[in-house]
Amino acid sequence: MSTSDCLCPSSSGLSRRTLLRGLASVGALGGVLTAVEGFSGQYAFAASPAAYNGDVLVVLSLRGGFDGLNAIVPVGDPGYLEARPTIGIQERSLIPAGGIFGLHPALKPLKKFWDAGTFGAVHAVGQDNPTRSHFQAMQELERAAPGSSLRTGWLDRTLGSRARGTVFQASQVGSADVSLSLAGPNPEMALSSVDSFRIGAAADTAEDRARWTKALSGLHAGAPSAIAAPAAATLSATATTAKMGAYKPANGAVYPKNSAVGDSLRDVARMIKAGVGLQVACVDEGDWDMHAGMGTADKGWMHDHLNDLALALAAFATDLGSRFRKVTVVTLSEFGRRVGENGSGGVDHGHGNAVLLLGGGVNGGKVHGRWPGLSSSQLVDGDLAGTTDYRAVLGEILQKRCGAGSLTGIFPGFKGAPAMGLVKAG
Amino acid sequence: MPTGTPMDAQTLLLLRRASYGPTPALLTEADRLGARAWLERQLAPASIKDAYTDGVLKRFPRVTWPIAKVRQQFADDFGTWAVMMDLTRATLVRAIWSERQLFELMVEFWSNHLNVTCPSGDVWDSRADYDRVVRKHALGRFADLLVEASLHPAMQAYLDNASSTKEHPNENQGRELLELHTVGVATGYSEDDVKNSARILTGLGTDGTGEATYRANRHWTGPVQVLDFSDPNESASGGKDLAVRYLNHLARHENTARQIATKLCLRFVSDNPPESLVSRLTSIYLEGDTAVVPMLRELFTSREFATSAGQKVRRPYEDLVATVRILGLKADTSGTKGIENLHWMVLDMGQAPLYWGPPNGYPDVAAAWQSPAGTLARWNAHQNVVERWSVKTLTGPAITTLIPKPRPATHGALIDALSQRLLQQRATAAQQKAICDFLTDRWNKIAPSTPLKSDSVALTWRFAHVVGLLLDSPAHALR
Repeated sequence: MSTSDCLCPSSSGLSRRTLLRGLASVGALGGVLTAVEGFSGQYAFAASPAAYNGDVLVVLSLRGGFDGLNAIVPVGDPGYLEARPTIGIQERSLIPAGGIFGLHPALKPLKKFWDAGTFGAVHAVGQDNPTRSHFQAMQELERAAPGSSLRTGWLDRTLGSRARGTVFQASQVGSADVSLSLAGPNPEMALSSVDSFRIGAAADTAEDRARWTKALSGLHAGAPSAIAAPAAATLSATATTAKMGAYKPANGAVYPKNSAVGDSLRDVARMIKAGVGLQVACVDEGDWDMHAGMGTADKGWMHDHLNDLALALAAFATDLGSRFRKVTVVTLSEFGRRVGENGSGGVDHGHGNAVLLLGGGVNGGKVHGRWPGLSSSQLVDGDLAGTTDYRAVLGEILQKRCGAGSLTGIFPGFKGAPAMGLVKAG
Repeated sequence: MPTGTPMDAQTLLLLRRASYGPTPALLTEADRLGARAWLERQLAPASIKDAYTDGVLKRFPRVTWPIAKVRQQFADDFGTWAVMMDLTRATLVRAIWSERQLFELMVEFWSNHLNVTCPSGDVWDSRADYDRVVRKHALGRFADLLVEASLHPAMQAYLDNASSTKEHPNENQGRELLELHTVGVATGYSEDDVKNSARILTGLGTDGTGEATYRANRHWTGPVQVLDFSDPNESASGGKDLAVRYLNHLARHENTARQIATKLCLRFVSDNPPESLVSRLTSIYLEGDTAVVPMLRELFTSREFATSAGQKVRRPYEDLVATVRILGLKADTSGTKGIENLHWMVLDMGQAPLYWGPPNGYPDVAAAWQSPAGTLARWNAHQNVVERWSVKTLTGPAITTLIPKPRPATHGALIDALSQRLLQQRATAAQQKAICDFLTDRWNKIAPSTPLKSDSVALTWRFAHVVGLLLDSPAHALR
């Protein structure tokens, strides 16, 4: 990956992905309250899952700036191939997606879900005040409270509007770095993987782990609650992951090998099926910052990355079987890419973007949203305009699929938007 | 126990709060000096020799480079993270090994109060120099720190003031200056105050060489008012002086005094700062013209501090640093591999030094750090450091040197002695039993009263586990 455009050399030993994740993350912790707020929230979990009947919402963060234009391709807009003479995908390569759109051929694994109407997209989605800075755009996206000094995230506020659930209620899966959208007083879980979330770094048998668990429990007896409560929650969580045992995907689902997003979605499916009380799962996939060498329709960076994502999502949907009915996946990225390609066969930071939707309740098989067009007078600073506020997409999902009532507490300052029919009422 | 006697509880509390955790040598020193003299020594860091740390820091020479030199040396690798990564690691080195422990804690405190994320692309050349500013004033006057930090290229870039113009004032720094750095949001300033705060800062920025500059042609002119500060702001050429006057005014504002006093109490005393102490520190701040040392002296000798044991929880960074310190580990013989690996560990634990993204700094209340992932990471890190899995190249005494000589008579006595050595307090009967149950297997039932023989698992293959478990216990999780 060329990094010179971003002045962020990989030779530093810390990948750009790590930077982007890190900047947006709150680490393995639950709050971003300023110290002077003197937060004194209670840390408590219900003994059994609270009565939540909504969908499991999987927020898949495509970090680095996903190029929606080469994924859900507006090939019928004459501006598209004009702006991307070398990296644009020709119509003959695309999977027809209705109207002016076609799906990048690498999305083929998801075609059957598109045809079945459970995979769809919204195009030209954007944020209110577009910034082309990864850091700012991601912070604003995940905080989702522009013009306010709130430092919590939109998912944390969503959780705050529900009864407290299990320790797994809101889980970052695939990383111990937690998305800023989960930042705030409501506790969240983070696991690099189900298998690695184990007690006793030195324990390698179930018997030995039980030994460590018992000892840790004994050592914390009578400790102050600020220490005892998280210890108890940790021991309870590790007991749950230990019980999950070996996992075999169902329905012939095959997750891609050597795929971080595949591994994470596999773990999400596993947690859903194990009934641990998952309500929100955050999964990250990085490395979308394609300033150079994006590749072509049938090979290269974009193709391989998109194909990995599609294989992982298709396996996830297949694996879930009947539970797919109550799961909604939504992709988010801090911004889209520029319409015009640059001199390095890549695209720089832009604005409007495509959001992918996958789930039993999704009205798929089509591209939602108002297409603003790609002629120069229709662009905003040279970029695809954002005609749909991303909060409208999330708001509709939250209200129709996840039992949310009013959105004012979740998206302060958001004026609301008419439902777009992205999902069915759950 | 190096001193042979249990240290008095008040001195121990001071050591745990005003340092990154006791070391054997620190315990001996404080025992010799007494709490008051130890504190006074820490409040005068220039008088403390720090040869070992200075030596290790020589392995990170680039952190002392001025901005121009960073740019010149990395002309072919513009934007490199190298210097920022060195700074992160140097920060870790200082926390672990510096003798000037309270000073380093205050550097961390101000680095969070005036947070500029590291590493971050915008400040690749200036972040190390910004750290120099924080260190220069960490035990000086807040007013001086605020002025110098606010005008620094790193802050100017991080909070976007570098791109602010009179036509389009960028409000980011102007707002955070009020909300986070000085008077606080509870002051109840208006959006007009924020706008004027941003207007006052227009013109400040960074020139083509990366150094701070003032460009009069970018400065917004006309009357400005922010809270009780007002100025006719008639000339563009006077914009920088105006900004300095404004910053000095804000630094001396009573609400700023209260905000800083509260934060110091949150850092060193309790998650629910006692109003009486906050109020006294507020007065001392104002009377001392924003001087930091008198506040710290009052804080650490106060009745409120003395009764605050058990009220602060170590965050992941403090836990890892304290673990390395209490085990007496030292840096690599040469090179920096072990230090780098410690940094990766603390990154995984969610609290790498200087790494917090938003401008408000890492939260410093227990409630923000209670996730199961964080707890599990702490426990697993203890075992990692004890057994030196990913920090193989760190030096220092082998873990077996912790085995008391002569050998304690019983398992309970062993656990108690190790608890004294690692946690500076006796193990409770329940804790002794918990660890003895852990040691019990199908061949041997072990109780605290069970005689300790040289071939007991407690002294052989389970010894590192006993040490790790003690570090997992609540006493080590507390500041």
